[in-house]
Amino acid sequence: MTQNMYEVAGIRFAVNLADGLDVLSSRLLDNYAPFVVNDSLGISKIVFEVSVDRQKEKEEFVEDTRQEEEGQTIVCGRNGAGECVFEFLLGEKFTGTLICSRDFKKARVLLNEPSPKFALNNALMIMYALASAQSDAVLFHSAVVTYKNRGYMFLGKSGTGKSTHARLWLAHVDGTELLNDDNPVVRMMPDGAWVYGSPWSGKTPCYKNKGARLGAIVDLKQAPYNKIRPITGIEAYVALLPSISGMRWNKKIADGLHQTENGIAKNVSMFHLDCLPDEAAAKICCETVSAKFESADKCAESANSNKCAEA
Amino acid sequence: MKIKSGFVLRDVCGEQVIMGEGLGALDFGRLLCLNETAAFLWKFAMEQGEFSVDSLSEKLCGEYDVSKEQALADVAQIVDEWKKVNVVE
Repeated sequence: MTQNMYEVAGIRFAVNLADGLDVLSSRLLDNYAPFVVNDSLGISKIVFEVSVDRQKEKEEFVEDTRQEEEGQTIVCGRNGAGECVFEFLLGEKFTGTLICSRDFKKARVLLNEPSPKFALNNALMIMYALASAQSDAVLFHSAVVTYKNRGYMFLGKSGTGKSTHARLWLAHVDGTELLNDDNPVVRMMPDGAWVYGSPWSGKTPCYKNKGARLGAIVDLKQAPYNKIRPITGIEAYVALLPSISGMRWNKKIADGLHQTENGIAKNVSMFHLDCLPDEAAAKICCETVSAKFESADKCAESANSNKCAEA
Repeated sequence: MKIKSGFVLRDVCGEQVIMGEGLGALDFGRLLCLNETAAFLWKFAMEQGEFSVDSLSEKLCGEYDVSKEQALADVAQIVDEWKKVNVVE
């Protein structure tokens, strides 16, 4: 067995590969390489530990619910021991199983050819989301860019054009960088919200071990025009809900997620953007969401101005 | 009647909101905002388990300064809304 230790947004986990899988490790775990940690004292800080092996027989369980999106299906249920079981299907193909201990601190992942990497990534994302739900972290479904040292997140249903909008910033707003294209992590820290890259980034290989202060969250909707407005309170909370996955039918997890979501809705600038997939959308969005930091940053540059002290 | 399992009352940015979180309630797909009275009654109905318009009205009279008739009318209206959105059975 080989153990690999990783840290994503400050949350540490271990992946133990069974002997037969060592040969596959570079292919299975390449997207995790930027997140490797090596300090020997770190074992005590591990939040969850996953043991990975080949699947020899199908895990017996009773189905509770399933999620289907873009040809990918996750079946959720429980086995006889009361452990949560997740199966991952790509189209019709069965790619593997995740079985979590009841406290979500340990899990077994069983992989199946021909797409073991699909199952492993999904299993680790689920474990990450479940194990971190009771802390201050949430795994988002979002594309996120950085601009002038702050992160800007784009939310929206599948097919809305989150990635497209991020690309428009990259093409038309100088100084923009892609932090993650599909699954960033947000943490509520004592000094405010931070957004981090992760080993999961959808179809775009963008696995950055970096974080930035979260500048704003923008909920996108396709429209025949570009228009942006701030959202607050319940409207902001509702915009967050579909973008944060978790097993909400587990009360502890739902409570943890709710607390973090409430914190984000209350403390992070949020906007709704009706938009076309064009340059003007990126420009109006960037101008609006970064406006309050522009004045703050100018203040920092000219420290003695009284006017700025108020802004 | 009773509140269906899977529904929870949460404080969302200072508002009292009903959400569907349990396995049977995952497709609720909306949030239901309650005013102070409705939230008070919801908490009591959860506590009570099996409840009726009468039992909630009695509780309301004990807590607020309202006549029995007014309480019955208010509770009936609130419970009707719960029935309409299908959170009680």
